[in-house]
Amino acid sequence: MIVANTFFTRVVRTSPTVMIALLVVPVLGGLLGVLLPAFGWFPALGATEFGLFGFTELFATPGIERMLLLSYSTSLVSTLLAFLITILILASYFNSPWLKRIQRLLGPILVIPHAAAAIAIGFLIAPSGFLSRLFSPWLSGWETPPDWLFPHDPYGLSIILGLALKELPFLLLIALGVLAQPEIGKVLKQQHKVASSLGYCPMTGFFKVILPSLYGYMRLPILAVLAYSSASVEIPLILGPNTPPTLAVAIMQWFSDVDLSLRIKASSGAIVQILVTLSLLLTWWGIELLVKKCSASWLTNGAREHGGMIIKRFTDVITFIMVSTIALALLGMVFWSFAGFWSYPNLLPDQFMTMHWQSALTQMQTPLFNTLLIAFSSTLLAIVLTLLALESEQQSNKTISAVSGLIIYLPLLIPSIAFLFGLVWMFEQVNSQHTYLNVVFTHLLFVLPYVFLSLANSYRRLDPRFSSVAASLGASPSKIFWQLKLPLLISPILIASALGLAISFSQYLPTLLAGAGRINTITTEAVTLANGASRRTSAVYALMQMLLPALFFILAWLTPKIFSRARV
Amino acid sequence: MKSITIPSLVIEKLQLKQQDKVLLSLDEEIIGGQVLTIMGPSGSGKSTLLNWLVGMLPSSFDATGKLYLNGADVSNISSHQRHIGLLYQDPLLFPHLTVEGNIAFAMPKGNKQDRLDEISDALKQVGLTGMEKRCPHSLSGGQQARVALLRVLLSKPKAILLDEPFSKLDSQLRQETRQLVFDEIRRHSLPAVMVTHDESDAIAAQGKVITLDKLI
Amino acid sequence: MQVVNKICQHSFAGFYKALCYLLLLLLPQQALFASESQSNTAAMWENIEMRGTQQSVYFHAWGGDQQINNYIQWVAKQVKQQYDIDLHHVKLTDTSEAVSRVLAEKSASNHRNGQVDLVWINGANFASMAKHKLLALDWAGKLPNFALTNPENNPAMTRDFGVPTEGMEAPWGQAALTFYYDSLKVEQPPQTLAELLSWTKQHPGRFTYPKPPEFLGMSFLKYALIILNEDQPDNIKNKLYQAATAESEAQILPALWAFLDELHPNLWRQGHHFVSNGLALRRLSGDGELQVSFTFSAAEIPSAIARYDLPDSTRSYRMLDGSLSNIHFVAIPYNSPHLDSAKLVANFLLSPEAQAKKQQTSVWGDSSVLDLSQLTPTQLAYFDTTEKKHLSANIINVDNTRLLSELHPSWSAVITTQWLARYGVQ
Repeated sequence: MIVANTFFTRVVRTSPTVMIALLVVPVLGGLLGVLLPAFGWFPALGATEFGLFGFTELFATPGIERMLLLSYSTSLVSTLLAFLITILILASYFNSPWLKRIQRLLGPILVIPHAAAAIAIGFLIAPSGFLSRLFSPWLSGWETPPDWLFPHDPYGLSIILGLALKELPFLLLIALGVLAQPEIGKVLKQQHKVASSLGYCPMTGFFKVILPSLYGYMRLPILAVLAYSSASVEIPLILGPNTPPTLAVAIMQWFSDVDLSLRIKASSGAIVQILVTLSLLLTWWGIELLVKKCSASWLTNGAREHGGMIIKRFTDVITFIMVSTIALALLGMVFWSFAGFWSYPNLLPDQFMTMHWQSALTQMQTPLFNTLLIAFSSTLLAIVLTLLALESEQQSNKTISAVSGLIIYLPLLIPSIAFLFGLVWMFEQVNSQHTYLNVVFTHLLFVLPYVFLSLANSYRRLDPRFSSVAASLGASPSKIFWQLKLPLLISPILIASALGLAISFSQYLPTLLAGAGRINTITTEAVTLANGASRRTSAVYALMQMLLPALFFILAWLTPKIFSRARV
Repeated sequence: MKSITIPSLVIEKLQLKQQDKVLLSLDEEIIGGQVLTIMGPSGSGKSTLLNWLVGMLPSSFDATGKLYLNGADVSNISSHQRHIGLLYQDPLLFPHLTVEGNIAFAMPKGNKQDRLDEISDALKQVGLTGMEKRCPHSLSGGQQARVALLRVLLSKPKAILLDEPFSKLDSQLRQETRQLVFDEIRRHSLPAVMVTHDESDAIAAQGKVITLDKLI
Repeated sequence: MQVVNKICQHSFAGFYKALCYLLLLLLPQQALFASESQSNTAAMWENIEMRGTQQSVYFHAWGGDQQINNYIQWVAKQVKQQYDIDLHHVKLTDTSEAVSRVLAEKSASNHRNGQVDLVWINGANFASMAKHKLLALDWAGKLPNFALTNPENNPAMTRDFGVPTEGMEAPWGQAALTFYYDSLKVEQPPQTLAELLSWTKQHPGRFTYPKPPEFLGMSFLKYALIILNEDQPDNIKNKLYQAATAESEAQILPALWAFLDELHPNLWRQGHHFVSNGLALRRLSGDGELQVSFTFSAAEIPSAIARYDLPDSTRSYRMLDGSLSNIHFVAIPYNSPHLDSAKLVANFLLSPEAQAKKQQTSVWGDSSVLDLSQLTPTQLAYFDTTEKKHLSANIINVDNTRLLSELHPSWSAVITTQWLARYGVQ
């Protein structure tokens, strides 16, 4: 394909390189900034000899095996659970109107930041939480809150619940997104029909025909979820045990400990965290191979009915429990945000009042402004880069290489706790004092991958004949881009923007570290408050955390409708 | 034990409606080995008819009338229990399974070796000897169409529906495949309904032809 | 805008340098004319006032309490008026975040342009910053308002957990360990450490303390350690106020572990999980999960009641066998680019006006560090407020219990390590 050499096409041509550099340099630089101290190089503490004493110290930490096990098991079990329930829901409600309804119910959970979700779940399962109040004292006989296991149970069950509830909507929407792509979804649906006409009950048909193909499209998002959950901080911090905590939480605590020599141990811990994540990804891959091998003959043995009805009932129950858990958690949080004193075991607060909202809203202005400014900057940057990179794909007529494709996922696959501390060190090295820019660039690392993933499909699917027709009418590449492709893609662009904003809103560790603590956002305030102060204020902040992304998703969804109506 | 009847598919007083508007009315009996051809422009309700026949009528449609298969009323039986095979214009082979796997998938349960032998025999008959372990996407369009046909036939259906089955094949291949399909239908003495908008398909089917009008 | 700032900072830096040389020239004279030193100090302060105005000060202070945050907002307004200083409160979840930041800056050879101008600190964090030479030296004693604390007769103002402050930090407030309980649920709260132990046996699961090294949890352990070793000979007891050694650990700590071994099974969650800080204690008390709890800032109790975070029937008291007390300070990192402005803010924090405001229960309720006998009648007037107080603001036993001083900071690390080894993995 011959492409005109204009300013526009030159910018477009260099954009993938810029995008990859913006992702690779900070991540690798950050890793280097952790790798050096991990092996004993930390001049500020006078440590200038390479050695393994960081690791020796790490493995001498009391309870280190428990930390590793907890990190490993909570993320593996929660991801498996989320994946299995996703599959059960898809299998049970495939081709049923319920799928759309469940999607609509769970979709909004996707935009709830992890911290807010953890706060809400904590409110639900605490001994004095909503669940316990629901059954007290008439059933349980409890007049004062029981001294029971949740949250913070030593087995990490609360973490698993939190992670699974947060991961499930993501996986479900990924799967539904795949099915919504005409070239994949339509074929899969027809194949399901074929299976049905061959006498397969819908459930078995799904497992034998749809799942093997669908799974291929879900693999990478699943691995991203697995990697994320193995090293996430918010949910284990708010719901997890602390005797000992998960490895990621421990690393964060060591990094910010008064005893500065713990930095070396923390850096070694970050390297071990990467290994834990890696071993999780390998475990998943192993499970996948095993299941594939074991199910090979089952796929073609001709059995057509596998207790489909029982599985469906089971799924109905699971789905009901899940949806009501989420609903109750949210309801409890709304109650707390309006509650006066709320004595146990009363189901409702003793009084309702708006004072917590009023006082929080007056104090929220600066964090709110910061949140919006950072989110808009990083999202705008991400959208521009993504559009240019996708345009360069079309101009050069080939999709970006597999390596680049993987690099886009890099910040999602490498535990952020492993490179963020190093990244802060790197900002120090270049003496970047512009905390706002630092935060925006750090957010970009997490916003860009999601924006790219969300836009790539729509952009690549755009019928190339539109461009050909326009070009044959004499339109330049830049005119085609601005006046043809962008207007055609307005809807996906807005949705990707809303997604980018939501991702940016939810960032805790990146904001805290890159912003040197100077930049308060709704999320950093919410996490700070979640660990202390009042349930009421913390409920207000958590709700704010949910309302913000929801607002922008609604805007993104409504805007094109309003415009198209205006055109008609 | 059920009484043995001549294989047949009976559509009795069918009325397909969308929001009280009648899309089509049909009252037909198809004997095993016969092909009923339905022709008509798109939007005339052809695919709605097929969906009704397999029991997958979207909820926006209403239907009155009954469907008998080999004398048994199947109007209210769910689609996977009707034993009505479907053949689409796309072969829709399962990409995660081999040729053999695709056919085995369709066959009733049984002894593993017996099933494999049956598959080999069937492949031989349609000129696909030794293709058992091939991946579907490595086959040509005609080969894929033949595997799809075998898949339906070996699932031992009681009737077969053909949804524009040959429209994606070029004319040489089309004649060959068509001949093969109709021969097999006759050999298995299956009642068949074919939806098409190609006259030559209708002629080759040698059965009754119903032409639907476009509504509106 | 950023660029302009940068240039301004550079030219200011040059200006600083020149002034420092000038001051060096002045120093010998100051030594010679000791009688004039007072007016010299005044002159120096005037210089600081001149140079420190119209700048930003980034005050890194724990931000978990809305009342304290509001007070800092009030301070910001005052220093804006008086010196045109823009005071930014950087809210920390843990003071160690600021410590790590300054250390990271030092490791990156950023010796001039640090992000932290002023930090709220004491105890182990201070000891750590002092040890790594991360603080500006010898400035606190020169603050005009520092004299109002009467440091000659009040050695606590120049010692932080037993470590001499050497002018690296200025006192800000003081606090003592205060217990609280729900008077509707608890008739007779435990008033000594021994009573606490037997009370938890009768009411299992209704008391706990934050996991060390958290400040409040550590304070509880130190309180217990002091009380448990009270019957030891003086020469052993005094080792609590010196750096810990293997010998003194062996003499002093066993009593604590024996006590905790007995206490833990009756703690909240049977001692399998410990909360992360004092605010979590307060939240659990509000939920009714805990019935007796404790805090370092007694004034948070009435304000928590006003916000409905604690039941109206909450009352506060001090343990009869003693109440651990300490002073908290503000310090300036060695690489703060706004050293003079930070000093101005620190001085304002010590002013009678600011200290009196802070002491009001409705504002913060943190005890003043000023010696009221040193104040002029006008200054004293600031402290004359008649507030309407909630019942919980009247701390029971406040006058008939002694204040226990802080241990040497090395004990914190020792206790933490051994605690984590004993109870950190359950």
